[in-house]
Amino acid sequence: MNTIAESMSTDHRACDLTFALAEQAALDNNWNDAETAFDTFRQNIQRHFRMEEEVLFPALLDAGGPAGPVQVMHMEHAQMNELIELMATAVANKNTQGYGGLSETLLIVMQQHNLKEEQILYPIADRILAAELETMFSRMQAIQ
Amino acid sequence: MSTASLSTEQAPPISVPLRFFAIAPLFLILAALIAMMGDSIADAHTPALLAATHCVTLGFIGMIMFGAMQQILPVVIGSPMPSSRLVAWFSLLPLIFGTLSLSGGFLLSNSALLHLASVLLGLAFLVFIVASLISLARAATRNATATAILLAVLALTAAVVLGIVLAQGYASGLQLDYRKLAAAHISLALGGWVMLLIVGVSYQVVPMFQLTPNYPKWLSAALAPALFAALLLYLASNFFEVLPLGFVAEGLFWLCASCFALVTLNLQFQRRRRVTDATLNFFRLGMISLLCAALCAVAALLAPAQEYFRTLSVVIFILGFALSVIHGMLYKIIPFLVWFHLFRGGVKKGVPNMKEVIPEPWMWRHLWLHITTLLAALMAFFWDAAAWLLIVGLSLQGMLLSFAIFISIMVYRRTYQRLAKV
Repeated sequence: MNTIAESMSTDHRACDLTFALAEQAALDNNWNDAETAFDTFRQNIQRHFRMEEEVLFPALLDAGGPAGPVQVMHMEHAQMNELIELMATAVANKNTQGYGGLSETLLIVMQQHNLKEEQILYPIADRILAAELETMFSRMQAIQ
Repeated sequence: MSTASLSTEQAPPISVPLRFFAIAPLFLILAALIAMMGDSIADAHTPALLAATHCVTLGFIGMIMFGAMQQILPVVIGSPMPSSRLVAWFSLLPLIFGTLSLSGGFLLSNSALLHLASVLLGLAFLVFIVASLISLARAATRNATATAILLAVLALTAAVVLGIVLAQGYASGLQLDYRKLAAAHISLALGGWVMLLIVGVSYQVVPMFQLTPNYPKWLSAALAPALFAALLLYLASNFFEVLPLGFVAEGLFWLCASCFALVTLNLQFQRRRRVTDATLNFFRLGMISLLCAALCAVAALLAPAQEYFRTLSVVIFILGFALSVIHGMLYKIIPFLVWFHLFRGGVKKGVPNMKEVIPEPWMWRHLWLHITTLLAALMAFFWDAAAWLLIVGLSLQGMLLSFAIFISIMVYRRTYQRLAKV
């Protein structure tokens, strides 16, 4: 991976894939698969959030990056986490209707959030953190 | 400072887009009522059909796009419109009254109303265009969407200027080449503004709504400029009356448009999210309609004596392409806005999710109603009775969309008041 934009966007796509699998299984009332896919999705996306919140965003701010957009990204992470917890309850209760509605909602929040990161924030990060990309990658990979 | 206020830094208040969305469907109903006074749908130049068409294009399509642009610009180009509330009022009110006086002016052949319409619509579009250009100039990103929207706004500006010239010409009985001017006005408004805006926004929302792959980079970079170039070429050929150039320009335009429709359908076919909802079908219907509009336009080029091919192409473009895509977008955007503006408050419990805002069965009913209306519009060319079906379908669609927006506003209000008490 050459840039933060490429690497993190690829990570977004990987999260999307498990998201779609979980949604399909839940709507098919296939709760075993839904639970597995949902757990993977939750782990992946929360790791992605931590990579940003613990490594990328602080580095961006230290290097003089824009504080406003970073704060908005933080807030959207919190929103998504709340939706994800509601979805976990829907999975536990095998509530197809509830899961479908929440999943539809999360999809839009998540996609427009990704769009803002991929088109605005990551390119800024690539520019102002150009000298320390290697360190950034290894620190982000170390996040569990 | 609470974190909740940060999200409003970008998104306009929910009342801004919703006021446009709430009023727009009423113009569909009005268009149907006016069309009842017309003689035949095949002749678009009768006063009643001119009035009805402008109720659909200005009152419905224009109105929705005014509201949607306020909402979409911060997301797709990272830059909101300035003073969103002020821009909303100064574009909404003159658009409403301008469209009403334009329709009245056509119906009653009243020059005072046509003059008034020129002033009001000129103001509405001036405010909207200036606000859009400021937003584009401040955009944090220079992507293919920003380019497409910029070209769309430029085409809109020219379409509005020509529209005003035409209205003034009618009103004052000037000797103008109406046929030429009207052709340029229609191609700039539909082929420029509507087409380019949908192209630019699709780059972002098609992958977003259904998790499809992105549009190929070369396509998204080249498509909007190619469509715009074809449009300019067409305008030049129209102005200088160079027929072969017009052939090439129209051919190029419809080739690009078909390419967009086919690529979009193909991306949706490859979507990772397999769930099929009404909005996806609205979008697919829009793309299939765009292909049909292209076929009719090519038929019109090959058989210029058959006037109805051209009219058919325009009707399919407006009702089949633009209206389908708009409905598909609205049924996603409105439930999302209701959720978004409720959820960013402190209390999260009891906020309805997107599927609890507009009941899904109503969206499916609307899709079927829309398909029926579209088929009626096509049959109306050959069978007069179908025109009545089209009129009934159009007004029912207006009512259904009004109902959907009304219940969305009620869900928002009720939940907001309940949360405020907690």
